[in-house]
This record gives sequence, structure tokens and C-alpha cells, in this order.
Amino acid sequence: MKRSFLSIVRKELIHIFRDRQSLFMVLTMPLLMLLLYGYAITLDMKAIDIIVADHSASPESRELIRHIEATDFFKVSVYKGGVAHIGEIFQNREAQCVLEIPRDYGETIRAGLPVQLQLSIDASDPNAANFIQNYVSRVASLSFADQTMLFSLEPRIFYNPDMRSAPFFIPGLIALILLLICALLTSIAIVREKETGTMEQLLVSPVKPVQIILGKVLPYTFLGFFDGLMILVVGSLLFHVPIQGSVLLIMAMMLVYVVTGLSLGMLVSTVAKTQSVAMLAAITMTVLPSMLMSGFIFPISSMPRIFQLVSRIIPATYFIEIIRGIVLKGNDLHNLYKPASILLGLDAVLIALSIRAFKIRLE
Amino acid sequence: MGKIRSLVKKEFRQIRRTKAYFALIFVAPFMQLLIMGSAITNEVKNISLVIVDQDKTPASREIIDKFSAVAIFDYLGEARTTEEASLALDDGLAKAVIIIPRDFERDMERGLSPSLQVLIDGVDGNSAGISLGYITSMAAGIQKGWMMAGQLPVSGGVQVIPRYFYNPELDSKLNFVPGLIGLLLLMITTMLTAINIVREKELGTLEQLMVTPLGGTQLIIGKIIPFTILGLLQFTMGILAARLVFGIPVQGSIPLLYGMVLLFIMTTLGLGIFFSTVANTQQQAMFVAWFSMIFTLLLSGFFVPINNMPRFVQYLTYLNPLRYFITVLREIYLKGTPFRDLWREAVILGGMGLTLILASSMRFHKRLK
Repeated sequence: MKRSFLSIVRKELIHIFRDRQSLFMVLTMPLLMLLLYGYAITLDMKAIDIIVADHSASPESRELIRHIEATDFFKVSVYKGGVAHIGEIFQNREAQCVLEIPRDYGETIRAGLPVQLQLSIDASDPNAANFIQNYVSRVASLSFADQTMLFSLEPRIFYNPDMRSAPFFIPGLIALILLLICALLTSIAIVREKETGTMEQLLVSPVKPVQIILGKVLPYTFLGFFDGLMILVVGSLLFHVPIQGSVLLIMAMMLVYVVTGLSLGMLVSTVAKTQSVAMLAAITMTVLPSMLMSGFIFPISSMPRIFQLVSRIIPATYFIEIIRGIVLKGNDLHNLYKPASILLGLDAVLIALSIRAFKIRLE
Repeated sequence: MGKIRSLVKKEFRQIRRTKAYFALIFVAPFMQLLIMGSAITNEVKNISLVIVDQDKTPASREIIDKFSAVAIFDYLGEARTTEEASLALDDGLAKAVIIIPRDFERDMERGLSPSLQVLIDGVDGNSAGISLGYITSMAAGIQKGWMMAGQLPVSGGVQVIPRYFYNPELDSKLNFVPGLIGLLLLMITTMLTAINIVREKELGTLEQLMVTPLGGTQLIIGKIIPFTILGLLQFTMGILAARLVFGIPVQGSIPLLYGMVLLFIMTTLGLGIFFSTVANTQQQAMFVAWFSMIFTLLLSGFFVPINNMPRFVQYLTYLNPLRYFITVLREIYLKGTPFRDLWREAVILGGMGLTLILASSMRFHKRLK
């Protein structure tokens, strides 16, 4: 019995190694994605074009401009005169914001009176607009650091003190890649046998259906697991993502999540009749929601209530919470028992569903 | 001309027979815009907040009242100790903690300028920065109120009055929805073209077409016309969906928008034909199309401003047609930018489209021979 199971595994491995193109993608895709998310996809704003219209031309206004130039957040161009058509500046994308320093800026400050600065922002990217407003306000108040305050703020940023994007994205990427490989590839592998009619041949062989499925699924499990570890190692070496928690716990949770991916793939394979349908279904039903609604990039707490509910039935939501917890916060099971048990529960449901669906298919 | 017309007719007949196309073109844009447009937001709301009050004075209670009254924060309640609060951060329950130290009020009265400690979960650096910004400006507001009430000299200081153009509510939908329309157009037209051609290869009907008196050029044109029409239809559905589902109107000129779409469709169809020459099976075609799509998407400025990227990646994005099209969409959609400020994008898109279509058609010919 064991031997027939192994021969199914071997047969699947031969399939994998024969399709060079797909194998190449399975191995290089995660690395490319890692490089992309590590280098290119960063939400840290910089080099924003700002036009400062200095109507005052006083020592005070020049000091303010110096303060703005000192941050690498802005690329400053100073206009001596006024700015006639702000709308036109935004339309030809000369700058993303215009700061106007009023004529009486110097005198008012010297007199100790409050001054207002007009800041026009092209808010078609609202996130950037928010940052611009925050930064300019901060820089402007910097010029008055000597003022006596009733109290001050002392911020401390935990877990990711430089607020970099790479530690945020890279653990989440593991969730995405594991799912992509486990769900997508297994569903295609199973449907391919259906399409070519070899599934029937396998079923009339003395191997039990469960063994066939397990045998087909096992090689992809290894591939997915390997890719996940690769991301973790390369990510921590290349992008300095610190691994605070236990690596063993990470691997255990990855196994749990691999099972999720596999059962999703099996479910898709029982629904789909052709490989292209399987692929479309796997992408739209599993990969896209896991990418967009799991908190991988976009914060769940900011979504409309109904989508927050949807995100709670997506396994990736819990896995991302778990893996970020372990990697960045050094969480152990004590902190994570809730998402971990939900993930296990979802696993059980998915396995039961896919076995049922598979049995119905067979009969 | 007549030959091309009959080819186009044949393609349309096939398209009409495939029910999935209808779903893709008429239903998918609404569904995807609805789901993605609502889920994708990088606004920061409902920041879960815990406060530790070690002072227990009217001043500290006022701070708690002010923070719990604002909708941006999801005030979870008080924690008794700092340890309890940082455990809430560890467990992921709270994203921010404010600690009001003992003798806060007394130190203020003595002019010692005590400090409020703010602990922030920095895992999501972007949200952390924005949350800190909110907390800072709330604190500044409270401070100012107290100084005015206490007849203290509110020394001038600079106040920045922001004026937000094009999107005064800072609603991230306005930014994402036009981009999504472009993205959907790219996905559907590229994939459909690639799969359609590879399918004919797989079925062997491409050879049959080759032995008819049709030239290779006519064959390609016969493929391009129907998919251009499908793309335009799908784009129109996208515009309608944006208007009906999210109430986002086009500010700029609609003919200009369609002109740009035509230029962009040339590039997507060119890509589709190219993929069909690389792949032998539909599965491979989908794989290639899907993976190249991820990169096209991430390097287009859709999620992440291109300015944020390192220099060499920025150079890479110059090769990405979606980059230009998303710029064009956002400019025309939100700002009503005229052609005068968009001719560069038009020239580049047109150039890319022509090159892609010509090069991949030539490759297609060679492959067939």
C-alpha cells in the first residue's frame, strides 16, 4: 500500500520536473516577488515636489524654507513671486503641493502673533496628501521649538521602530506565496488528470482515492513549504527583517496553513472541469481575496463593516496575523492561541468540505 | 476588406457562444469595482486605542474624554498598568497606547512641561505614521484649548491651513477606482487575446485558417478588431460602474479618455499576441499572463507612488504601459486635465502600442511558418 502511494508521489514529481516552464516560475516567482516587495513596494513617502511661494522674502521665511529643504521628504522649488494658477501646476504635474508664505510673515512672527500658511495639496492621492499636511505642519512648528509648552508627546514605535515597509510586507508575502502554490498548482494538477482522462485510470488502479489525492498533493506541499522558508531566510538576510520569535513555531504554523491551501485547491478542483477554469477560479476565489482583504497591504480596520466580516472567513487573515506576530513581535502561542485555533478550525471545515465534494464527484 | 469582415464575424460568433465572456465583460467590472473599490483603502480609521491613566485628575480625564469622543479612534478603555497596556499591543488588540504619567496635572501647573507617552504598533509603518499624526494634532488641540482657557499667552506659532484639491474628503476610492478600471482592462483584454489564440493553436483550427486564402496580416487584424471592441465595451461598463456604484464622475473630456483607451488597448492586445507566441497551452498562457500582470500592476503606481521607489526601479517603470495609462486615467478622471498636459503620455502609449503590435505580429508569423 505504501509503495503505491510513493509511486503516485514519484509520478507527480516527474510531472513537475518535466514542465520546466512552470517549475521555473514556482522557484523564481517567490524570489522576484520578494525583491519587488523588499525594494520597490514601499509606502515611505519621499521626493515630493513642493513649490514654496515666498511673498515675504524675510530672514524668517528663508529659515522656514531651509527647514523644509532639510527633510528628504520634499524637493523644493522656491518662487519669489506669486503662483497664479494652482490648478494648472497640478494638471501639468509640476508639483504636488504649493505652500504660500504671506507677505507679512516676518513681521508677524517678530511681533509674536500667530501666522497662517496656506498649503494647497493635489489630493488625488489622498494618502500622500495626508502625509504632506502632517509633514509641513511638523516642520512649521519646528521653527518654534523654544516656545514653552504645557506638555509634550514622547512617541515610541514598537516592533518596527523605523516604520519600514519591508518588515510589514515580507512576512505577509509568505502567506500569499504558500497559497498561490498550494491552491493554484494542486487544483491545476488534479484537474489536468480529469481533463486528460487519466484520473479514471488512476481510480481503477488498486490505489485508494485518498492515497491518490494525498500523493498528488504532497510534492506541492514541499514546494510551497520550501518557498515559504526561502522567503523567510532571504527576507531576513537581504532586507533585515528581524525574526523575533521561534522559527519552529513559524514552521509549525506554515504547515497548518499549507493544509488550508491544499484543501482550497482540492475544493476548486472538484468544481472546475478544465484547467483554465481551475486557474481562474483559484485566482479569483482564493488568491485575490487573500491579497486584498487579509490585511496584507490594506488595513482591515479601515474597511467597511461588511468587508471586515468577509475578511474574518479568509484563512490568510489569521495566518498573516500569526506570522507577523511571531516574526516581528516575538509572539508565542500564548498570544496567538485565538487566531491559531480559528485557523485550525477553518482547516477542519475545509478538509471536511473537500473530502465530501470529492466523494460526490467520484460517485 | 471582405475577408477581414468575415473573420471578425466569425470571432464575434465564437464570443457570443462563450457565455463566460458576457460575465467577464458585463458583470465582472461591477463586482470587482464594488469589492476592490471598497476593500482597498489606505485610509487609517478605527485606530484601536488604550489609555493608561496614572494621574487621575480632571486634566487626565479631559484627555481621555477628548480621545474617546473622536471617531478616528476606537477607544477600548483604560488599562490599569503599563504592562497591561503593552500586552494589549503584543496581542494585537490595541494599535496605540497613551500613558498619562503620575503628577501630570501638577507638573503642568508648575510649568515643568511633563510628557505624555505614546506607544504605537509600528508593524504597519504607514498606518503607524498616520496614527501618530492624528494623536499629535489632537494633543496640540487640547493643549491650545487649555492655554486659552488658562489665559496663558498662546504665542503665535504657525498654523498650516491645508486646501485639498480634487479630493477634499481625502477619500481613497477616488484614487483607486479609476486605476482599477485600467487594471481590469489590461487583465481582461490581454488574457482573452492570449487564450483565444492559444486555444486555436491547441485545437488545430489555426492551421485551418492558415490554408485559407487569408494573409497573416489579415488574420491578426481579424483578431484585433473584435477584441478592441470588447475592450471598449468593458471600459464603458467600468466607467458606468464607477458612476453608479461609487458616484465618481469623469471630470475631463470623455472623447480624450476614449482616445487614450484606444492607444492603451493597442499595447494590451500586443502583449496578448506576444504571450500567445510564447505559450503552447492555455495553461501556460494564463500563467505567463498572470505573472507578468502582477509585476505590471505593482510597478504601475497603482498602489504605491512611483516616487517612493528606488531610482533603478523607477527606470523600469518607464517600460510599463500601465504606468502611463493609470496616470492618464487619474488625470482625466479626477483633475479634468486637458490633452495639452497629457501629450507625452499619449505619444509614449501610441509608440509602445505600435511597436508591441508590429513586433508580436511578426513573431506570430514566424511561429506559424
